[in-house]
Order: sequence, then structure tokens, then C-alpha cells
Amino acid sequence: MSGSDSGVDTDAADTDAADTDAVSKPATDGGFGRDRPPRSDGRLDSERRQGTPYTESQVIMSTVKIVTPFAFTYGLFVTFHGGGSPGGGFQGGAIVAAVVFMIAFAFGIEATRQWLANTVVVALAVGGALVFAGIGLVPVALGGAFLQYELLPIPDPVKYGMEGVEILGIGTIVAGVLMGLFFVLAKGFSDAGGFADADAFDDEVGDGTDGDGEPTDAESLDGESNPGGPAAADGGEP
Amino acid sequence: MTGALASAGPLGAPVVAQVTAIEASLFVFVVLTALFTALARDVLAAVIIFGAYSLGMAALYTFYRAPDVAMTEAAISAGVTTVLLLLTLAKTTRLDHEAAFESVNLPAAGAAGLLFAGLMLTMGDIPAVGSADAPIWSNPDVTQWYIAETYAETHVENTVMAVLAAFRGFDTFGEAVVVFAAGIAALIVLHREVFA
Amino acid sequence: MSLVDASLAAGYTLGDFLLVAAAGFAVLAVGMLYRAVVGPTMQDRVLAVNVLGTNTVVILAILGAALGEPTFLDIALVYALLNFLMAIAISKFTVERGGVL
Repeated sequence: MSGSDSGVDTDAADTDAADTDAVSKPATDGGFGRDRPPRSDGRLDSERRQGTPYTESQVIMSTVKIVTPFAFTYGLFVTFHGGGSPGGGFQGGAIVAAVVFMIAFAFGIEATRQWLANTVVVALAVGGALVFAGIGLVPVALGGAFLQYELLPIPDPVKYGMEGVEILGIGTIVAGVLMGLFFVLAKGFSDAGGFADADAFDDEVGDGTDGDGEPTDAESLDGESNPGGPAAADGGEP
Repeated sequence: MTGALASAGPLGAPVVAQVTAIEASLFVFVVLTALFTALARDVLAAVIIFGAYSLGMAALYTFYRAPDVAMTEAAISAGVTTVLLLLTLAKTTRLDHEAAFESVNLPAAGAAGLLFAGLMLTMGDIPAVGSADAPIWSNPDVTQWYIAETYAETHVENTVMAVLAAFRGFDTFGEAVVVFAAGIAALIVLHREVFA
Repeated sequence: MSLVDASLAAGYTLGDFLLVAAAGFAVLAVGMLYRAVVGPTMQDRVLAVNVLGTNTVVILAILGAALGEPTFLDIALVYALLNFLMAIAISKFTVERGGVL
């Protein structure tokens, strides 16, 4: 085992040494070394990712097809049955979100992103928060306190008010926010700028910090990323 | 050895005498996984060992009769935290390194050791696990009242859920809003406008 | 409940023996941790954490039987369903370090 490991290490070192000029070397590495993770490639750039085919595993896809109905049902059970067994909205929402993660890992995150639209995720999170606030505010409108379940106009108001808060409030908030975190983390940082004004704002900050020097792009970037350094040096010298 | 939990001694009894075998082994497991999570040089290995840590913590919570906490630990750690950490790792660069373990930063280790010693000094005043004399348990106005009156007041059997959704409902509303705000904060930090 | 409280030998009940068995599984978990920490490849670690998850399911089920708390099986079910997610997440991540996610 150690012998093969050292062999891989020297291989990786060779790739590192020849990385500046050789273009064909990473290609062969990606072709043959797929059963073993690349040792020293660092971040896979987007071209490389486009070049590698998406490895769909029959085992994972078939197993996920079998497991997800049960896991989803169990997540709903934990959510709806929180009054009589361990669990509740938070745990059940997390399990339901985990089912979506499972599907995304088996069938690809991009495909899942198209299947589960942004509208659904946002509607779950926002709707949950609104329902929780609404259930809390109905007794206020009827002259009581916030979340005073006795005043709700439903049969057995305390029990079903609590269940409504757990199921429609907490459960949907947690499920929606966790799915959203998953998708947005899988997409990563948007350096092109999701905000229209982000670049303009950055430029303003960059111009303000080094107005006295010769502003190149690299310097302004340094000044942004570490604003304390140059300012402290300037303050300390005189 | 295993019957020690049922016959929990009075306040001030030595703590070691009441640690059962399963508690001790789970505790060793949890401490070892926590140490190796901190010491692992490869971040992916640290994430995997952290998953093992959560498994031990869930079993420990279960043994202490806190099934709601154990289920939260199970759902969040096994289902969510590992996946989100892996997704974040996929965006990072892996540095090549030979060592399997991080070299220990001695001042930081000394500070952590001092903190640990300071916390251990307070252990003598903490009531034993499962002790009936523990203030959090024997308080007739809070804990005992919840246990006695939950079903009559709310018609649900799970006291934890009743405390969360009814007796402390306003706090839970704040927590739910915090979760909601976390999603918005992730969007802002990552410069995105939509989740999907 | 009554079966767990039944005295088997020398005054020890069945619940005591189940607790000892759960402690044995917890000791085994420490042994499996060795592979998760030392494992030369990531595949070793994935397998180790998968076995640890199954081991935890067993511990939780035994605890539920020994302590007479059937609700512990709910937590065991959560682990049985979600441990699979952890395994496939890490194993697909090890292919080109997340390049195929």
C-alpha cells in the first residue's frame, strides 16, 4: 500500500514540475486517474470541469430511487408527529431537505436545480415565516397576546395551533432555507456580480483607499482585501 | 457497573463512580474524534471525522434521554452539515502536503489547556448526571411544572415540543426568523439574488 | 418492558446485558475510528464512516431496548436513512474533488 502511494506522490510531483508548459499531461491524468483523486491539481478550473464527463453511478441512482420515498415520508412523519414522539418541525424540515440533497447528489445538482425552481425554495422559506407570524398575530387581532393559542378560531386550538406552527411554520422555513443554502453554496461566489451595483461600489472604495499612490489594479485589490495594513503603516511612520 | 445510573448518588459524590461503561466508551470516542478533527491536516479528512463525531454525540444524547436533541443532531449533522461543508470544499484549492496531522501550535494548545483546567475546577459543584437533586430537574416552578401540566394545558405528549411551540413560542419565533435570516445572509455574502 | 426487566443471571437483568452489549459496540466504534483517521485513501475513510453510522444505528436500537424507550428507534431510523446520504456525498466528492458534483 505504501509503495503505491509513494508512486502516486512522485507522479503528482512530476505533474507539478511540468505543469507550466505541458498541456497534455493533465488531460491524460484526468483520463486515467479517475479512480484515484488528483493529488496536487488544486482547483479544477471550469474548462477542465467541462471536459470531464459527469460520472453517473448506477448504484447510487438506483439506491436513491428506492430510499428517497421512505426518507421523505419519514421526514413528513417526524414533522407531523412531533407532538407524540421525538422530533418536530426543525428535525423534519432538515430530513426533507436532506432528501433533496440526496436526489441532487445522485442525479446532478444542475438537474435538481432546474427541477426544484427558485420560486419553490423561496416560497417555502417566506411562506413559513409568514404563516408563523400570522398564527401568532391572529390572537393579537382578537384581543389577546402574541401566540395565545386559546383564542384561535379552530377546534382544540392549543394543540392544532402548535401543530400548525411546527408544520407550516418551522418545518417549511428550515426545509426551504436548507435547500436554498445547498443550491447557493453549490453555485458558489458570484464574482461576475449578482448585484448590479457591486462593481461600481468596489471601484469607489478602491479609488478612495489609494488616492495618493499610483493606483494599479493589483494595488487597489490589495488595498481592498487588507485595508488595515497600509493604513496602519501610514499612521505609524510619521 | 451498568446499574450505577439508576442509583445515582447524592450531591457531591465522586463523579467517576457514576460513569457507566457505555458512557465512558462513547465519551472516549467523542473526545478522540474531536481531537482528530482539530488535528487532521487534510480538510476532507477533518470533515469525515467530524461526521463520526456527530454520530458519537447523537448516541450520547440518546443515552442521556434527550431524544429530541439527538434527533436534531442526527438530522443536521448527518444530513446537512457534511453536505454543506463538502460543497464549500469543492470550491477551494487543495494544497499538497505530506504530513497527516497538523503541527500543534503550542501557545494555542496551552491556552486551550488552561481553559480546560479552569472548566474542570467547576466540575465539583455540578450535580451528578441524572441526579434528582439537580436544580434544573427539581425546580417545582419550571421543570416539574412543565412535566406535570403539559398535557393538560396543550394536549400534546412531547413536553419539548410544547415548551418550544407554546410556552416559549415567542423565542421560537425569533429562532425561526434567525434561520430565515441565515439564508438571506448566505445570498448576500455570495453575491447572489436567487437560490436556485 | 417486562422482558427487559427479567432477571437472567446473578441478579442482572436483560437490560443490563443489553447495556453491556451497547458499550461493546461503542468500544468497537473507537476501533473503527482508527480507520477513519489513519485510512490512507479517502475511500477507506468513507467506508469507515459508513460502518460507524451503521454501528450507531445498532447502538441506538440496543439502547432503546435496554432502557425501555421505543422512541429511540426514531433516531435510529433517521441515522439509517441519512447515513447513506453522508456516504454518497463523500464518495462522489472524492471523484476529482467535487468536480463531478
